[in-house]
Amino acid sequence: MQSLSKRTIGVLVVIAAVLVTMLVVAGPTAAAAETKIRVWTDKDRKAAVEKVVGAWAASKGLSVEVLEKDFGKIRDDLKTVQPESAPDVIIGAHDWTGQLAADGLVLPLFPTKATRAQFPSYALSAFSYGTAVTRLYAAPVALENIALVVNTKLVKVPKTFAEFQASALAFKKKANGNLAVAVPQGAAGDAYHMYPFFSGLGGYVFGRNKAGNLDPSDIGVANKTFLSNASQIDAWNKSGFLNSKIDYGVAKDSFLKGKAAFWITGPWEADTLRTSKLSYKIVQVPSNKFKSVPFLGVQGFMVTKFATTHGLESAAKDLVGSYMMRPDGQAALAAANGRFPANMVAGKAVKNPLLAQFGKAGVGGVPMPNIPQMSSVWSDLASAWVKSTKGSGASKARTAFATAARNIANKIG
Amino acid sequence: MSVFSGVVGLAIKIALLAVVNGVAVWGGTVLASDEKWFALAVLVAATLAIDLIYLSPRRAIPLKFLVPGTVFLIAFQIVPIVYNVNVGFTNWSTGHILVKSEAIAGIQRNSLGPPPDGAAYSMAPARNADGNLVLLLVDDTTGEQFVGSEDGLEPLGRDSLKLGEFGTIETPPSGYTLVTGAELLRLDTELSRFTVPTESGAIRSEGTEAALELAPTLRYDRVRDTFTRIEDGTTFRDNSKGAFVAAGGEELEPGWRTNIGLANFSAVLTDPLIREPFLRVFLWTLVFAASIVLVSFALGLFLAIVLNKPTLRFRRGYQVVLIVPYALPAFLAVLVWGGLLNDDFGVVNNALHTNIPWLFDPWWARVSVIAVSVWLTVPYFLLVSLGALQSIPSELVEAARVDGGGPFAILRRVTLPLLLVVVAPLMIASFALNFNNFVNIYLLTAGGPPSDDQSVAGATDILITYTYKLAFEAGKGNDFGLACAVSIFIFMIVASISGAAFWKTGSLENVR
Repeated sequence: MQSLSKRTIGVLVVIAAVLVTMLVVAGPTAAAAETKIRVWTDKDRKAAVEKVVGAWAASKGLSVEVLEKDFGKIRDDLKTVQPESAPDVIIGAHDWTGQLAADGLVLPLFPTKATRAQFPSYALSAFSYGTAVTRLYAAPVALENIALVVNTKLVKVPKTFAEFQASALAFKKKANGNLAVAVPQGAAGDAYHMYPFFSGLGGYVFGRNKAGNLDPSDIGVANKTFLSNASQIDAWNKSGFLNSKIDYGVAKDSFLKGKAAFWITGPWEADTLRTSKLSYKIVQVPSNKFKSVPFLGVQGFMVTKFATTHGLESAAKDLVGSYMMRPDGQAALAAANGRFPANMVAGKAVKNPLLAQFGKAGVGGVPMPNIPQMSSVWSDLASAWVKSTKGSGASKARTAFATAARNIANKIG
Repeated sequence: MSVFSGVVGLAIKIALLAVVNGVAVWGGTVLASDEKWFALAVLVAATLAIDLIYLSPRRAIPLKFLVPGTVFLIAFQIVPIVYNVNVGFTNWSTGHILVKSEAIAGIQRNSLGPPPDGAAYSMAPARNADGNLVLLLVDDTTGEQFVGSEDGLEPLGRDSLKLGEFGTIETPPSGYTLVTGAELLRLDTELSRFTVPTESGAIRSEGTEAALELAPTLRYDRVRDTFTRIEDGTTFRDNSKGAFVAAGGEELEPGWRTNIGLANFSAVLTDPLIREPFLRVFLWTLVFAASIVLVSFALGLFLAIVLNKPTLRFRRGYQVVLIVPYALPAFLAVLVWGGLLNDDFGVVNNALHTNIPWLFDPWWARVSVIAVSVWLTVPYFLLVSLGALQSIPSELVEAARVDGGGPFAILRRVTLPLLLVVVAPLMIASFALNFNNFVNIYLLTAGGPPSDDQSVAGATDILITYTYKLAFEAGKGNDFGLACAVSIFIFMIVASISGAAFWKTGSLENVR
């Protein structure tokens, strides 16, 4: 101990500190010297994104860094990420558009007329947002919607809503434990899966103003037409046609075990259906008072404002607004998580009957509202369904939906 | 002397100090480049103090033990609280994420749109004979060819440049060289800001292979700090709450993050959305947390007394089984319980042949969340009670027995008071934890079932889950400012309840 003087110790510490510092500081600096375009994507699409973006980047002399993120976290992580580690391009759902654009975190895109013509207009408007004038904020890549899956061994595919109801209730009576319709709700509810029943009675979430943009002050959760039809919900509750105690697991399990002849689900269960050995047909829920259309979802890639900070704005816009919108890239990106491509030219080449059936079941559907006020809607709309379809002790649908509409208006403020 | 004074100890000490210094130097460079001079001064002073304390051999021994604890106290308690309070004074929320200068740039960018008959072009960046950046342009509809410079558009001969697949420009006219590859990447920012003035606006690049005419719909006046809509002359002024707003209330997006004083705190007290259900939610939160602690403690103590009997067979086996819930990740256990308790399809009702609405009736749902939380908490109190029971001197119990005390009298007069000295602070900690037990509520009932009293709060919503609903499922999505303000109120409530309880239980220590 005595051989080491205080001074020696001090010098040692300083040298060690400098070494550590050099390691810590030099690491990121060395990596930053090379120009890299950073993409946030989800697990399913990672390989496809690497391939598509990689091919583009190779022609530009760029390198690509594709980071895998939990899809649900991408939107909120973009709000808190440090600029140095922020992505230039992200995958996103169209209903994030309002929040991200209002935050100023994504850049507007102007694809050419010829490119835009290759997309259904709703896919482009789903990603468009603005309070006065709207701008497009993403390249749509994949489409999805829920549909009615019918087990054709157990029941016939219903043509009318009355037929649907009668057939579901008859099946339920056949055996103890049978469900009429396997549509998931559970204690927290699920407004997304219930939407066909809602739209069929004349319900809507937000109306549109004169300019054609969604209007958060026009809340249609308890509009007059819907309320006058709402007694149907009370009847459904009484007969057991709908039951909010069915959650996602119960719904899926019952359909796969043949204890439910009707299941409401989306293309994310395509693999389950394919491997199930059941005979099924995928259709839109039959028309009730109105067409029972589902919510439509569009996924796409967005250019973040950090691309500008990183000196990659032009490159990122070329990648997203031009390259990714071409049919070949679209086919690869949509196939990666089993969705139908947004580009119609790419769509024509898809020979998957399952996806085609899901696509047909979405005709006339409503894109989920993309304005930020939508976050005030989900839980209350779901609660109204839970309350009015929970069996004995259920609230009257009229009251439940009127309460929901009032709560939503209060929350939007 | 101890191990700490050997060569190994010295090496560890130097290594740790080196890491501290290294991190400090790195942090210092970051702070210096961000011009945060006050923080830099604090960092330098703290680092020097740490070095001095650990390098001086004798004098500062008590400090050597105090410093790590203090550093962690500051890092994990004080800094988060200060940060929370700071955010509570801001409007940080959806639409108010950026700083003002970024927001102005964002509004200007979003206001650019194609004018009614605006042209679109295939584009290639190039250098002219003088080496200046220009845009080679081919009109998408007419096929006319132009050179765009910062002075304006100049027509080229019809077939001066050749197009390849996807309409990209491949061969430039003579006198021009295309900018490609690494050079194009270097010029990315210049290209994205490049404008070719036209009558109705300007031609801007869109990516690296296209360009289009864009005209602004808003104009920013730097001197007066206002935006004016070109179409109708509406003026948007800074409303000092982080947004440009017109007289009619129309607001430009994006806004920016700014200090809004006590607005979030007064919203907690005055906003009917928050105020109306507050008392009900607060009372339920108290009942929820208190009953979990009391029931878990009673059950845990009972099991501990039973398991403390040395003559019990399979004692170890019982202990292991009873501790299992403690070892499971809580979120997993809660999700499983959610499935088991499902009213129509759950195992519990099926096994009991009952039809109890465990999750869909307000009162049963309250029972369910307490029961599941108790199930998760009992093992903890079993463990601490077992330990505490061992520490009670057996002579005291013997003496009480000799004096003729029955088992209940001994429990009440001897065991319990001695036990509480140890366990009471843990009960207070458990109360504070359950007061904010977000996971159990959110995963089991999500605050539901929804109540019929026209409020946003469900029957089992506790303060923290209700805060979450207000801050992240209301308005426009995220309201970090409001969330921080409410959590400060919750912090004060928990701190005062815990403080009062600690003060009260202090008297228990006289038992010994």
